[in-house]
Amino acid sequence: MAPLAPTTVLRRFWRSPWRDIAQFVLLIVVVVWLVTLSSARLGYNWQWYRIPRYFWTVRNGRPVVGELLQGLGYTLQLSAVSLVCALTLGLVVALLRLSSSFMGRALSRVYLEITRNTPLVVQIYLAYFVLGPVLGIGRFSSAVLALTLFEGSYMSEIFRAGITSLHRGQWEAAYSLGLSTLDSYRFVILPQAVRRLLPPLTSEVVSLIKNTSLVSLVSLADLSMQARVIAADTFLTFEVWFTVALIYLLIMVPLAITARWLERRYAIAT
Amino acid sequence: MPSLPDIAPLAPSDAAAAPADDILIIEDVFKSFPGVEAVRGFSARIRRQEVVVIMGPSGSGKSTLLRCLNGLEQADSGLIIVDGIPLDDNHAHRLEIRQETGMVFQSFNLFPHLTVLENINLAPMRVRHKSEQEATARSMELLGMVGIADKASSYPAHLSGGQQQRVAIARALAMSPKIMLFDEPTSALDPEMINEVLDVMKDLARAGMTMVVVTHEMGFAREVADRIILMDSGSIVETGTPDTFFTNPREERTRRFLSQIL
Ligand SMILES: Nc1ncnc2c1ncn2[C@@H]1O[C@H](COP(=O)(O)OP(=O)(O)O)[C@@H](O)[C@H]1O
Ligand SMILES: [Mg+2]
Repeated sequence: MAPLAPTTVLRRFWRSPWRDIAQFVLLIVVVVWLVTLSSARLGYNWQWYRIPRYFWTVRNGRPVVGELLQGLGYTLQLSAVSLVCALTLGLVVALLRLSSSFMGRALSRVYLEITRNTPLVVQIYLAYFVLGPVLGIGRFSSAVLALTLFEGSYMSEIFRAGITSLHRGQWEAAYSLGLSTLDSYRFVILPQAVRRLLPPLTSEVVSLIKNTSLVSLVSLADLSMQARVIAADTFLTFEVWFTVALIYLLIMVPLAITARWLERRYAIAT
Repeated sequence: MPSLPDIAPLAPSDAAAAPADDILIIEDVFKSFPGVEAVRGFSARIRRQEVVVIMGPSGSGKSTLLRCLNGLEQADSGLIIVDGIPLDDNHAHRLEIRQETGMVFQSFNLFPHLTVLENINLAPMRVRHKSEQEATARSMELLGMVGIADKASSYPAHLSGGQQQRVAIARALAMSPKIMLFDEPTSALDPEMINEVLDVMKDLARAGMTMVVVTHEMGFAREVADRIILMDSGSIVETGTPDTFFTNPREERTRRFLSQIL
């Protein structure tokens, strides 16, 4: 392989999930530095040894799952369900926006305008306090609903870009062969679009997982919520938040690596 | 290049039974784009098994006309009838016409994520509901006819331009179309690959396929065209047999065009 020009490397890096991770690591370094500085001033008493029990403890010879691990499970569950829903919604909205139906295009526009121009926090409150009671759904479902509506609009933009970036000739060839619109999407357009979508979609998944931390606002027992509670109870503020940041990071890294692998695996030889 | 013994979708008995009727009727077709009248009152009738070559300067509306014929573009006015089916607003009509009309593009437009075999199998399996086995048998036969059976499991990116265009022809033929439309099928090819594609097209013409070909390949036109149409500014300048068209054209415009491409 020929060595890549520095600008190419930079551009690839800029578009890859590694950018998010690098940002995150940089952020942590800065925070650690600041914290060390301020804790020295405050005379902060580090007590790392008190952290492990929030992962698990052994009581009566049985392992018991601690709050942090519970919160992590909850965060992962919320992320997974919201991700599947947001991907589905995003795809449907993108297809509607590209369809020849006037109603479909208008509907998707309205949805996009509303969700793009409202902060996620507001959507979470709306889902929890207004939509939740109206639809008779619980706390978890409300959180999924808010995250789905919010992330769905970003997903739909990613899908739309991937679909429209395909050469018109692909549509025309599918059309000329007599394939139905559905089959053209299924066998010709989407398989090619998905390959282009993997990098931006991964970034979006990363931001979805980060965004789940906002549901702690409506007192859902996710990782961030548990961290807040523990920190408030024990004054282990720095230790707890560093641990939580590290956990989030540990979710992102495998994700980035998987995305890389998928990207290579499905790269179309050109 | 192997010969194409039985590529014609029409069995000989069929052809004998059917009168030499017009399989494609084009009447007074207009098509405009914002600011351009691309096709202006084009009319022609094409008989079964006829090979018609359309020539004309760049921008004269050849591609637009061809794309109107299978519904890729919707004509603004005029009449297009393909094998008795009018190309109108009826969805079923449009669907049938694009299934019965094969199209070969200048830029091949193979599906890059599918192998050669999958490219050819796709439409017969999804549209004609053939089993994979059935479709593959026919696809391999077609690949043999266009001379690249050994490339069945390759991806398009690993084929030369000439090979890709031959796959594109096989892919269109797999739907057993009644008419084949070619839009400058060799103009994106390196010179040394043009003949391998033209040879396939010649064999196809000899086997009795009805063809409308936009090309500036004089040798091909002379050898297999029944009729040559010169288009300019969206309408017909002159129509003639290869003999009269090339050696004794009526129109001054045709003479000028020929002197430019010779
Ligand atoms: N999709 C389109 N939108 C706008 N103008 C077009 C489009 N397709 C073709 N045209 C215009 O129509 C005219 C005829 O084009 P075309 O049919 O491609 O000619 P040819 O194939 O003979 O070169 C040209 O002026 C071209 O710019
Ligand atoms: Mg053209």
